[in-house]
Formats: sequence, structure tokens, C-alpha cells
Amino acid sequence: MRFALALLAAVSPVLAGVHEVWWNITYVQDANPDGLQPRRVIGVNGTWPPPPIDVQSTDDLVVHAYNSLDQPMTLHHHGMYFNSTTWMDGALAVSQCGIPPNKSFDYVVPISTSGQWGTYWIHSHAGGQYVDGLRAPIVIHPPTEKHAYDEEFTVVLGDWYHDEHSVLLSKFISIANPGGAEPVPDSALIYYAQNASYLGPIAGTHPDAVTSAVGFNENATLPFQPGKTYRLRIVNTSAFAMFFVWIDGHEMQIIEVDGTDVESYPTDLVTVTVAQRYSVLVTARNDTNANWAIHANMDTDMFDTVPEALNPNVTSSVTYNASASVTDLGFIDLYHDVDDIALVPLVVEPMLPSTRTIQLEVLFDTMDDGTNRAMFNGQTYVSPLVPTVLSEMTLGANATTASAYGPFSFVLNHLEVFDIVLQNGDAGKHPFHLHGHKFQIVQRSTDYTSDDPALNPPINETQVNPVRRDTVQVPSGEGVTLRVIADNPGAWIFHCHIEWHLEAGLAVTFLEAPLVAQARNTMPAAIVEQCEALSVPVSGNAAGHSDVADFSGWTLGPFQQNNGWHSKGIGAMAGCVLTAVLGMLTVVWYALGGHISEEEMEHEARVQQEAKARRGKLFGLIKPKN
Amino acid sequence: MGKNVFSVPIFFIVFRETLEAAIIVSVLCGLVEQIAYDHNGLHRAPDSPDDKDSAEDLAAPPVLVSPEDAALRKRRFLRRMRWQIFAGSFVGLFIALAIGAAFIAVWFTKASNLWAKSEELWEGIFELIACIMIFVMGVTMLKMDRAKAKWRVKLQRAFDGQHVDGKAKSGKWVLFVLPMITVLREGMEAVIFVGGVSLGQPATSIPLAAVVGLICGLICGYIIYTFASRTTLTVFLVVMTNFILLIGAGLFSRAVWAFQEQRFNHLLGADVDDAGGDGPGSFDVRGNVWHLDCCNPDDNFDNSGWSLFNAIFGWTNSATLGSVLGYVFYWLAAIVTLVAMKWKEGRTKVLGRESAAGVRRRERAALARGDAEMAATDEKASA
Repeated sequence: MRFALALLAAVSPVLAGVHEVWWNITYVQDANPDGLQPRRVIGVNGTWPPPPIDVQSTDDLVVHAYNSLDQPMTLHHHGMYFNSTTWMDGALAVSQCGIPPNKSFDYVVPISTSGQWGTYWIHSHAGGQYVDGLRAPIVIHPPTEKHAYDEEFTVVLGDWYHDEHSVLLSKFISIANPGGAEPVPDSALIYYAQNASYLGPIAGTHPDAVTSAVGFNENATLPFQPGKTYRLRIVNTSAFAMFFVWIDGHEMQIIEVDGTDVESYPTDLVTVTVAQRYSVLVTARNDTNANWAIHANMDTDMFDTVPEALNPNVTSSVTYNASASVTDLGFIDLYHDVDDIALVPLVVEPMLPSTRTIQLEVLFDTMDDGTNRAMFNGQTYVSPLVPTVLSEMTLGANATTASAYGPFSFVLNHLEVFDIVLQNGDAGKHPFHLHGHKFQIVQRSTDYTSDDPALNPPINETQVNPVRRDTVQVPSGEGVTLRVIADNPGAWIFHCHIEWHLEAGLAVTFLEAPLVAQARNTMPAAIVEQCEALSVPVSGNAAGHSDVADFSGWTLGPFQQNNGWHSKGIGAMAGCVLTAVLGMLTVVWYALGGHISEEEMEHEARVQQEAKARRGKLFGLIKPKN
Repeated sequence: MGKNVFSVPIFFIVFRETLEAAIIVSVLCGLVEQIAYDHNGLHRAPDSPDDKDSAEDLAAPPVLVSPEDAALRKRRFLRRMRWQIFAGSFVGLFIALAIGAAFIAVWFTKASNLWAKSEELWEGIFELIACIMIFVMGVTMLKMDRAKAKWRVKLQRAFDGQHVDGKAKSGKWVLFVLPMITVLREGMEAVIFVGGVSLGQPATSIPLAAVVGLICGLICGYIIYTFASRTTLTVFLVVMTNFILLIGAGLFSRAVWAFQEQRFNHLLGADVDDAGGDGPGSFDVRGNVWHLDCCNPDDNFDNSGWSLFNAIFGWTNSATLGSVLGYVFYWLAAIVTLVAMKWKEGRTKVLGRESAAGVRRRERAALARGDAEMAATDEKASA
């Protein structure tokens, strides 16, 4: 078995270093970054937020992760390719079983051979741990930057909940929530990093003790000097909320999107949805008599309600002069999305013709168990019993059978160019993310059901350099076509990055070149060992059987409701009608037969009256007699 | 909740009470005629108010009068008495209506402030009260063909007691007071029933239903008085009772449904109609027996006839186990009650056993037969 570290060191001995970090994932009590409510969070080495990672693109990164939590944990390096090494990707139930408590796993990120640089982030991909705080930015520096600037900062955005994710999840996926209303965040956070450490709070403020090393929101500021050009790397680490970002009194130019350098694109507003990254260049002003507000407003369209107590608009600042006041110009005229399809990458990658189209239509519905779930093509994702990559590596020749991994899986051939045609049939907007790749955005429709080419244009195959990114926003009713080259053998999940929706089942898996994956690399022993430590089966199809058609022990569902007249209803209705008819016949029977003559009636009445008189009681209104 | 203009349960309540009052009045009229023409009977009615004869005079030997005078006096007597009866009835009716209107007005204004009437819980409670009242009403309605006999006996006892005690104080006015009190009592029953049922109905549906019920009750009462055939009356009552029980069963089913809906709304924390209309997510999947995405009687937009169907049969597009079982059990209760009633009257045997009344009837019938046989043998013997 090849020890990955030694291999990396052997490949590029001169240039490649290895940047190692040791992360002991722990709970941190009473963190209160927004100053509104302390809560328990998941941090690293007893601190929160987890430290930013800064690395050169000629280095490799190794994250030694030790799990001090009470539940399995993973770390996913969002946007990194992990070519042919899916087991480093960190997606629970797809690439590993999770690191058991008190165990450790080394994530080897082969940055130097991946050709990647730019702004990325790392977060847990087990349950909703990243919503509880296990997330941090990663900046990868190329030897020379394509754009010129004097200084850079990382701007971390995130929505923030006061309750733990597991509590919120049980309320979200519940029969008491048939409409699927996502929990609304309690506040938002903005904080800054530079050179692998966070910027501290503004002098003179009194932030909460546990997170006092980091400045948040209005307690944080970016120090600007006149005349300089700054690069701001904006990362959205939210569970749910999209952010609108702009700086009063300053203009921005987009120069990078999800790790792809692009030609500079001026914009008044950066709309960054969950898991996306943008780098903007901001030129500082020449006057220093005022400081200026940085706005990061959450998009409340997606929120079921906007409670009174919620302030969705976070305001921070750039500081030129510590004694000046902050100029806050309030709202801008119009919110709009970034027209990312118009961005032009600096490194040209041509558009290859595709040989396969996979259509994925998004739908949410209340299912037959009363909960609201998300579906691609009418199928909701259920985690397989065996992590998908383990199935791929152990099924031998049967690994090319897509159904073996579950009804939401697709098998792709090595180096096949395929299109994902994503159609958002839901009322909300969704950010979709593909692991292991960047995709080219080759087409967008404003109405994917329309025949009108203005609303639903055909793919323009003559594009020379479509934009590439790993997380794409699709508004309601719209469609997007993503072109991908299947050059990464392994198991890769494609899902909505709104954590609630992922857990509601809005995901599919792509099995790329299973046979090539089997031949290429060997999994680290820890993968199988840790699965066995968690009593998870490690081979076979999604249900752990070598017979790919045998899914016993694994339950799919829930499924969409099938209402209407079925045997149960028809039987019940028949029963009702039957008893009604019987009742009516009984009424008739009562009225007939055993005929009583007038004399008998009078006799009976007399008997009753005498009995009543003997009792001597009078009911109701008094009869006018003694 | 039925059409917003005509409340079916209230129609039946008012109809039934009016019918009973009309029957009483018709019985009184018939009784009066019978007594007026009955000189030889032991029970005598007091004379008309103009007649100064006191009770003692009746013990005296009859005064000889001419046949024409006698007939005239009889007719005048009859007219006076009938006038008294109708006057009493109408006064009673008027008082009942006045009290009823005042009661309902206060009830509605006060009650609507006390709780949200749109809450499913209250709807359920009112429907439950209504269906119990309707059950009682439906089942006793079948006995109305015997009402005449019952009332004749009651009234004769009333006159009887009058005569025996010799109290002349209310003697003149008994034919005014008795119908007044009776109609008043029936009217108050109607008012209470209507009050109980009407809480679940929109206010606009009550007046028309009450008035139509009143008119129909009067008409039917008159018909019963005029065409005294028992068979037609029985058929009529059977049809009415079936209708009433259908409505009652529907109400009970709806009451159970409303309680379950209340629980589900409470679980969701809001009115579930906001969530999904008629489709998935608008109802509780647990315990659901059938669900149609159409034909919702509560739907304000696509009502068609479904709300009428709901008013009469308790139809719902989303039935729960509770609502279905409720419907079935209501009818079963009606069946059991009817069988018990018929047994208690002595008209049928249950598992071979007879009730006390049944035993009495059989013995009297045997006695009557025995007399007839004896009479026949006597005649034969004497012939």
C-alpha cells in the first residue's frame, strides 16, 4: 500500500512542500459571535472559529483530523478535485463512513498536482456539523497572481442559528412541517482573515469571551489605506442564506469565481450564494476623512417568515481613520444576481462536444409519511448502507451497473463529456454543487419549460471559453446546463448546498469510470477500518450485497403520495353506505309491524300518566295543575 | 357548514317542534269536539265562559231546551273553545319567538366575542351537540303518530282533575292556558336546540331555515289534523326520520373530523389550509382513509355542490378513520335504540324475551279475544 505522503514527496521533491495542519475537532461551549445568544459550537483545538488555511499551490496539504466529538465526523475540502482519490473527499456515505469518535484520519489534498488555486473552503460533510460551526476558508496562492493588487483579505460570510442543527433538523423533517419550511437563521456573521489568521475586533469593543480573538459584524473592520488596491476573497459558508455584498463609496471588480481566475468584471453588487466564492478588487479612496460601511444582507426571499427579532442585514466597515465615523448609505436600488455565465476565465479551456445528457428536474413535495422531501426526477436521495466509493471499489465487474448504487446514481465512462441539464421546478432558488470537478456553465434558461428560444435558448456550441465553477445558483423555474469532463474516476455526489435540502434528499451520485478507479489507486486501510469500527458494511452494492439486484435491508423512500380512490377508501365508503341503509331499514321496521291500536295507545298513556302522578315530580315547565 | 343561506339542521329542528305543537293543537280541537258532543260521558268539560252555570249546576237534572237552541249553543261553545285554543297557541308561540330571538341575539353577540368560531374545536363541539339533539329528535319523531292518543289522555286527565277538585279559577281559561303552555314549552325546546346548533352555522343561514321550518310544520300539522290516516302519517314520519338521521350521522362524522383536524392544526401551529390547499401536505397522512385532491366542501373557490353534500351526508374529500367510524357508529346507535324502543313498547321480541309492556299487550289482547270468544259462545248459547 502506497503511503500517500511519501508518494507526493517523491513526485516533486524540490518544489512541493507539504503543509500540515493538526485539527482536533472539539465542541466549544458558550460561543457567542453575534452577541445575541451563547451556544455550543464545533471548533478546532478548543477554539472557534476554526483557523483559516493558507497554502501555496505548489504545496500539498495534509489535514490531520482527530475526532473529539461524540459522533462520526468528516471534513470536505470544498472544490478540490481529489483526482482518483475519492476517499479523501470527505462526503459521508459517499467517500467514507465518517471518522469515529476518538479516531483520526489524514486528509491528503494533492494541490500541487491538481492545478488548482484561489479561494476555497473546508467544512464538515457529516450531518449538519458545518452549520454548527465546523467550517473555515482555504486560500491557495499561485506562484504569481494574474491580477495585481497590494493586499488581500478573506471575507467570511455565514448565516447563524442559535440552536443546534440536530434540534432544528428534527423540526424541519417532521410531520408537523408538511410544507417544508426551512428553519430561519437567527442572525448573520461577517468576519475577516488574512495570512491564516482572523482579524481581531476593533479596539475598544467588548466582544464575547469565547470568540474574543475574532472581530464579528460591526465589531470588525478592514483597515484600508488610501490609494491601495485590495483583493477581497468573499466566501459564503452558510447553511441556507444567500448574501448581497457591497461597500458604500467603493466599486468592485470580480476577478475570481470558485477558484477560477476571470477577466475583471465590474459590478455594483456581489450576490454570493451558499458555498460560492468570489474575489473582488477594490481600490481604496484617496480621502481619509470617513470610514465606509460594508453591507452583507441576507436574501430573505427564501425564508418562510422574517421574524421581528431577526436583523438580516449585517453591516461592517472599512476603516481609513480610526477616529472617523462610518458612512452608511443604506440600501441599494436593486438586488440582482451575478451574471456568472458572462464571466471569462483567464485560463482558456475549450468547450468540448458532449456525448451524454443527464436531465435532473428538481421537485419538493409532501411525501407519503407526511414529511416534505426533495427529489431529483421524482426520487429522493437515501444514504446507502455501504459508502458509494466502497461499492465502486468492491463490486468488480458489476461496478458499472448504475442501479447497484441506488436509483439516484449514474455511471459515466472515463473521459466522457456529459451535460447535466438542471431544471429547477421548485418555488425556491437553489445552489448546486458537484464534487470532484468544476463544470462549465454552457447555457441558462429563464423558463426551462418554454419553447420560446428567448426564454429557453439552445446550447451555443461555438463558445470558446465558458466560465467554470463548482457551485451554481439556479432561480425558480429556471434551468442551467453544466458540461463536465469525466476525467476523475471515483464516486462524486452532486447536491443542493442548502444543508436542509441535502438532508431532505436533493442529491444524486455520479460513478465515474468505476473500472479505472478500481485499477488506479488503493484506499487507505483507515477507510475500511473506520467503517468496521462503526459497524458499517464495507463491500457490495448500496445495501451491502454482492448481488447487485438485492437491496434487502435497505429502505428507500419516502415516496410521493398517491391519493384518490383506493381499496381502503372504497371499502370505507361502502361500509358507511351499508350502515346507513341498514339504519334506514331499521327505521322502517320500527314504524311497521306490531301495530298498536288507538285503545292500546291510550291505555299505555294512562298507565304512564298514573305512574308519573304517583312519582309526583314535574319536569320542565310546570303544567298548570296541582 | 352547509350553504350560507339555509341551514338544514335548523330547518328540521323548527319543523319538528312546529309539527308537535300543531299536533297538540289539533288534538285539542278534536277533543273539544268530542267532549262537546258527549253528554253521557263521565267526564264533562266546563261550559263556555258566558254560561253562568257553575259546577254544581251540572249535578242538577238537565234543563230542557229545544234542539235548535242546543245546536246553536253547541256551535257557539265550540267556536269559543277553538278560539281559546288558537289564541293560547299563538300567544305561546309569540312568547317563545320573542324569548328565542332575544336569546339568540344575545348568544350570538356575546358568544362570538368569547371564542374564535372558526376554530375547528368549537365547530366540532357544536356539531356534536347538534347531532345528539338530532338523534333524540329523529328517534322520537317516529312516535309522533301516537301523539294524538297521548295528548288525548293527558288532556282528559287535565279536565278530570279540574272537575274532581272543583277549582273554578282556571276552569274558564284552561283551553287558553294549556295550549299556550304547551306551545311555549315546545317553542323553548326549539329555541334551545336551535341555539345549540346555530353556533356552528353562519348567522345568515338561520332565519330563512327557521321560517321555512315553521311554515312546513304548520302545513304538515294541518294536514295531519285534516287527513287523520295513520298510514300516510307513518310513511311521512319514516321519511322525515331517515332524513334527520342521515343528517345527524353526517354531523357526528364531521364533529369527529373537526376534532382530528383541530389536533393536526395544533401540531402544525397554523391553519393547515395555508400550507397546501387540497394536495399533499394539507392533511394528516396518519389515519387517513381516502383523500381526493378535489371536491373539498370547505373550499371557498370550487364549492359546487360539495358543501351541500357535506351538510346532508357529512361528505369530506379527506376522510379519517375517526370520521368514517363515527358515521358508522352513529347509525349503529340508532339501530340499537330503535330496536330497544320497539321492544320496550312491547311490539317485538328480542332474543325471545318480552318487555313488561309487551306482556301487558299480549294479555289484554288475549283477554279481548277471550271476551269475544265468550261473547260469541254466549250468543251461540243464547241463540
